[in-house]
Amino acid sequence: MKFEVDGLPVLFPYEYIYPEQYAYMLDIKRTLDAQGHCLLEMPSGTGKTISLLSLIVAYQQHYPEKRKLIYCSRTVPEIEKALAELQRLMAYRASHGRNEAFLGVGLTSRRNLCIHPRVSKEKRGSLTDAQCRNLTSPWVREAAKSDPEIELCEFYETLEGADMSATVPSGVYTIEDLKEYSQSKKYCPYFLARRLLPFANVIIYSYHYLLDPKVADLVSRELSKDCIVVFDEAHNIDNVCTESLSIDISRPILEASARSVADLSQRIDRMKVSNAEKLQSEYSMLLEGLRNTQEAREAGEIMSNPILPGDILSEAVPGNIRRAEHFVAFLRRFIEYLKASRHMTRMRVMHVVAESPTSFLQHIKEITYIDRKPLRFCAERLASLIRTLEINDLADFRSLQKVASFATLVATYQKGTISHCACICVASAGPFENDLDTIPNPVLHFTCLDATLAIKPVFERFSSVIITSGTLSPMELYPSLLGFEPTVTESYQMTLTRTCFLPLIVTRGSDQVTVSSKFEVRNDPAVVRNYGNILLEFAKITPDGLVCFFPSYLYMESIVSAWNDMGMLNELLKYKLIFIETPDATETSIALENYRQACDNGRGAVLLSVARGKVSEGVDFDHHFGRAVILFGIPYQYTESRILKARLEYLRDNNRIRENDFLTFDAMRHGAQCVGRVLRGKTDYGLMVFADKRFARVDKRTKLPKWILSGITEAGINLSTDMAVSMAKKFLRTMAQPLEGNQLGVSLWDAAEVRRRYPPKDESASAADAPIARVSGHSHYSNGHALVAMDTS
Amino acid sequence: MADAADEDERRESGRNYSWEEDYKRSWDMLLEDDQGSLQGIVANLQQQQLLLKRRRLNKDTDAVAQRGIIRQLFVVVDQSSAMAELDLRPNRLDCTLNLLEAFVTEFFDQNPLSHVGVTATRDGGAEKWAELSGNPADLVRVFAKRESRQTSGEPSLQNALELARRSLAHVPQHVSREILVVFGSLTSCDPGNLGETIESLASDHIRVSVVGLAAEVQACKRLCSATKGTYGVVMNDAHYKELLFDHIPPPALAVAQQSQSNIIQMGFPIVRTFDLPVLCICHQRPIRRGHICPRCAATICEIPTDCCICSLTLVSSPSLARSYHHLFPVPAFVEVPAAAAASAHPPAPAECFCCLAPFAKQRGPDDAYSLDANGTANGHGAAGSATSATAPHRPGPSAAAGAGSLAAATGAAALAPPSRFACPLCKTQVCLECDVYIHDVLHNCPGCLSGGHPAGR
Repeated sequence: MKFEVDGLPVLFPYEYIYPEQYAYMLDIKRTLDAQGHCLLEMPSGTGKTISLLSLIVAYQQHYPEKRKLIYCSRTVPEIEKALAELQRLMAYRASHGRNEAFLGVGLTSRRNLCIHPRVSKEKRGSLTDAQCRNLTSPWVREAAKSDPEIELCEFYETLEGADMSATVPSGVYTIEDLKEYSQSKKYCPYFLARRLLPFANVIIYSYHYLLDPKVADLVSRELSKDCIVVFDEAHNIDNVCTESLSIDISRPILEASARSVADLSQRIDRMKVSNAEKLQSEYSMLLEGLRNTQEAREAGEIMSNPILPGDILSEAVPGNIRRAEHFVAFLRRFIEYLKASRHMTRMRVMHVVAESPTSFLQHIKEITYIDRKPLRFCAERLASLIRTLEINDLADFRSLQKVASFATLVATYQKGTISHCACICVASAGPFENDLDTIPNPVLHFTCLDATLAIKPVFERFSSVIITSGTLSPMELYPSLLGFEPTVTESYQMTLTRTCFLPLIVTRGSDQVTVSSKFEVRNDPAVVRNYGNILLEFAKITPDGLVCFFPSYLYMESIVSAWNDMGMLNELLKYKLIFIETPDATETSIALENYRQACDNGRGAVLLSVARGKVSEGVDFDHHFGRAVILFGIPYQYTESRILKARLEYLRDNNRIRENDFLTFDAMRHGAQCVGRVLRGKTDYGLMVFADKRFARVDKRTKLPKWILSGITEAGINLSTDMAVSMAKKFLRTMAQPLEGNQLGVSLWDAAEVRRRYPPKDESASAADAPIARVSGHSHYSNGHALVAMDTS
Repeated sequence: MADAADEDERRESGRNYSWEEDYKRSWDMLLEDDQGSLQGIVANLQQQQLLLKRRRLNKDTDAVAQRGIIRQLFVVVDQSSAMAELDLRPNRLDCTLNLLEAFVTEFFDQNPLSHVGVTATRDGGAEKWAELSGNPADLVRVFAKRESRQTSGEPSLQNALELARRSLAHVPQHVSREILVVFGSLTSCDPGNLGETIESLASDHIRVSVVGLAAEVQACKRLCSATKGTYGVVMNDAHYKELLFDHIPPPALAVAQQSQSNIIQMGFPIVRTFDLPVLCICHQRPIRRGHICPRCAATICEIPTDCCICSLTLVSSPSLARSYHHLFPVPAFVEVPAAAAASAHPPAPAECFCCLAPFAKQRGPDDAYSLDANGTANGHGAAGSATSATAPHRPGPSAAAGAGSLAAATGAAALAPPSRFACPLCKTQVCLECDVYIHDVLHNCPGCLSGGHPAGR
């Protein structure tokens, strides 16, 4: 259908549109016009992705600037889904006579893209990367010229050989399409995708390509300023930001890096004998290299990388690490210090040391005379050395790289950005390997406490950033956490002809004992029994799949074993099979697979999982895979964690967010995320059971997304188990009835309905704009083919 | 001691004390209107139900070339412990068996050429209660047995379906083969993959329909859609009966079966009254009044059935004639919008052709009240009581009142449903009640039979 959004003609590849989709588009349009950022919460399963894409593509094609869209999603399946939607949209536009030159690509890791017959067989991503580098790094290719014995990747070679003349027909390439096209042309899909980025109208990739400084520098540096950036499923974005600047160093890592340093010094010795001038040239090149980056940055070409702060470029690399052998000695000393430092040694007692980077640096200076300044250059210097030594197998040097980036980070973020005294080293006695192992396993956590550090460059660089998800509530904290000013903050409701989800807040068991996962009462037999009863009762009445979420693995284990002792699991097995999520990813995926099979076969299954685990984040339980979800307790974080405490303290001091507010915010967004798993569309239906007394309190409840809140009735707030069960029974029966009545005009609009509700303003103006847009579209591309330029460096 | 034993038994059978029973929020659906009256809302609910029913009745009347009048139906009864739930009165299983008794009787009444068998499933297995038989009395006896009313364990959908499938395997192609599953449990404890059974059922052209008693189970949904059956979940006792009785009219034949036509032998036995009791051939029971098989002259106590000597299908000719209407249904009536009726030339009739009740106009609820009494008085009582006699699931005594109070529901004018329906052939206009009655019970259009309405001539 075709309609106008605030004067912008939009082609929408479906016959009908939901009212909330229209409102959503309207708000995005406003944001884009204002060149601002926005924060939008749209219920899951209401066609978020397609409305986003169709509006932005319409916007691109309508205005002569052709602002590029960067769409960031979380997982590979989500990227695939977005690409498929885009493909559908473009096919629809083409069928309506809009034959635009348009290029949409998705980028993901080599692991998913590689088509090399041997390398693509590798199971692990890091191995694929390493193998690929062995075949494609410049010095290997250089060496291969003289020695035909050395194996190269033919796909990469063809791509390189194709040089400037390589063209890609315009269109949208899903990951499969890209592989197929590359297969036919013998190109390497991964590098092809990377080369296409500057030419693509729509780029779809993972968050990390934009947020993680290590990757962003490689991939996203050439994106222009007026790009439209979209973070989808962004409810967790602040954690992604902090994690991208956090590093954990354990004893094995230190030992591995010590070995790598020894290896490095041997290689340097060998090179000194064989190729001394190369080392010498590196010495002089080093300065130039940094200066080049600096020039590029001044021209506004590179995204500013937080790991490489501005002033580092204007300074020369400090003299004491300029020579390779000096640098190696420097590294050795640093690693020895870490090994011997109090973080690592004083672990005999279960003792936790937390200190700020300033005090860490102070101490390191006292003991080893290592300055802050050379530490800051550590990561860059190591990269340069590895290039010079022509080392391909980076997998071995992973640990050393980690240590080096730790050095850089710790030295950078204590003073460089004064207001963000953000990073704190927390060394803690980590979990023991098992119970018998009494030797503590100390871990040095370097944790970023301020999400703004990683995302600030994104907000500064791109004029429009759209943050959207199905569950962003409570929304008022995001601007403060991420440090930006949204022009539009909006939460949409779901318009439905029938209420297809039923939130129930169960506060007490059938025996009227209140249930709660509060620490003091969570192991109380009455609470355990009542939680068990809730599960049992709902397992009895829910068809097919039932998903349960617990606040933590620890609690899940203890309560499940208690249920087992009470004989409740045996009783439960009569109605459903039981599957349990474990921290192990493979185990969990096998459990999930069998869970789905049990749902398909009509046996029915219960999945017991954890609110912050893999299941709660990336797995959808649509239709019969999740007819009900039970949230046992509020998924608060483990509040005794030192890292969390430090973060809370930081937020209190700097963002004026009270500890309790943040904890509730975090718990409720995870809770909402969990219950949102069951509802993936308007034809879907499901029960949402919140089993905790505290959910009934206004301050908790109101933090749920608006669309879930709208489903909570007065009667559903304070229920005992039996009341909830009888309401649920009735709901399930009602939902099983065939869909009656016409949704048209209520929750579905056709083009005429849209026009009736939002009469177009000035048709003459928009009609005049259109030809201009189309003309400029052709000036960029020749004959519908996008030129692929190669950077030959 | 006795109490404790009692308690145990009660616990095991899954029953609860009445004070432990489900919450019933019966007040929720009742909202008073502006005048504090409940009349409007009750009438509205009835109206809605009638409309739903009409839609259902009209759903498959059109464009069906052939129906499978000869049917072989297997009823699968879930006998698992889930059937002991009390949400249907007296419990799910008892309610089911009582309804099935009525169902079987009605079924043979409407489909005299058909056979019905029964299997049950419990404890993960399946057992056959009755082979395919043409005699409703046998089946009713099976349902009444005490062991039929005991529940235990989990059901196995696959075992039950396989058992029924094997029993239906030898039935010739031209016969419509069906399985009707009454499924109270939400889980199925199967030995293998249910998907394979579904595939083989679909390839055997066996139509499987499921009546769920609790909630929608995906496996059942898949089963029904793969075998072109229907799937319904009951809301309450009345709805249960409605869903079950939906399976009485014969289904449309699949295209693959349509082209074949067969000639079937059947006998119309003579009824004889004996002065002295004689033993019937089928049950060896003394009877005074029996049916004599025209081929072998055996004395049979009840028809329809198959003669147990010569296995000739014995039916009574009136009941055969009754199944005729399945082949020539009354066409679906067309809704006449109120606006079209007002502007029509010549002016549209002011009252229903059948019951002579005036068609609803935009009236206040007060008017509707007085009308209510009138409506019942002028002849609607007959239609109403007839309807409730054959379909007692219609909300009891107020069924007749519902017709008159059509107007009460039109308080909210925008939501008012269309009140007149016209026969596409003779153009007579009838009210909603009569429309449903004509399609559900009468199976003849009064307008067409009486030579058309004056307006249509």
